[in-house]
Amino acid sequence: MFNDRLITGLQQALNRSSLNQKVIAQNIANVDTPNYKAQELTFNQTLSNALSAEKTDPRDFSFSTEDQGRIVTDNSTALQNNGNNVDIDKEMVNMAKNQLNYQAYTEAISRKLNQYNIVLGGSGA
Amino acid sequence: MGFLDGLNISGSALTAQRLRMDVVSSNLANADTTRAQMVNGKWVPYQRKMVTFSPINGSFSGYLSNELGSSSGASVGGGVQVNAIVNDTTPFKEAYDPTNPDANTQGYVQLPNVDPLKEMVDLMGAQRSYEANVTVMNAQKSMLLKALEIGK
Repeated sequence: MFNDRLITGLQQALNRSSLNQKVIAQNIANVDTPNYKAQELTFNQTLSNALSAEKTDPRDFSFSTEDQGRIVTDNSTALQNNGNNVDIDKEMVNMAKNQLNYQAYTEAISRKLNQYNIVLGGSGA
Repeated sequence: MGFLDGLNISGSALTAQRLRMDVVSSNLANADTTRAQMVNGKWVPYQRKMVTFSPINGSFSGYLSNELGSSSGASVGGGVQVNAIVNDTTPFKEAYDPTNPDANTQGYVQLPNVDPLKEMVDLMGAQRSYEANVTVMNAQKSMLLKALEIGK
């Protein structure tokens, strides 16, 4: 019951989102550091990808719900004279998006767990 | 990484920016100090101080788990730290004032190499960075509080 792919997928998404928050915090903390290059988290899997992979036949490929996010450093640009390429506006926007995503995931997990509550005869409050 | 490490990253930035602001105030306070230290029997004026930043890098195990594709052990780095407070070696300003007790034989007084305009710009930069990091910290705190509400 609790191995449901939705909850596992959401858990991975939450991990990824919290790691993304740390990456953004590191970038903003180093906004004045000379020669610092901004890092970002890249995703190889999307949540919908993981959800839609139903295996109806044993020969089907299974989509892994393993998170493959990697932290990459963008070495190519230099926004300022001191070699620093952190774009504070982009980081702020990413942070806002990340925060909303995180709240959406926690809300989704809460409601899913609430469903079990209803099934088990609770009031679902 | 622990779940509270994100707050440490922003906290390190707040400390670093505050130190930078302190250095700026020290420079402005000493903008007219002609007798900072005694070198070879002569008074030398105050030399402008600057801070240098460097990022705190992640641990080796963090980089390894990042390359292996596991996001749970990946290490982002620990924020920013002040490397050193260095003296600015630009030459001192000179002003012609023979009545000054610190004037040399030609009547020139050496003044500190502090430019108030540069210091004010630096101060504004430090202030904006500080505010940006406070915003990040608030965002992280609200995310963590939301996480505590799962299943309630």
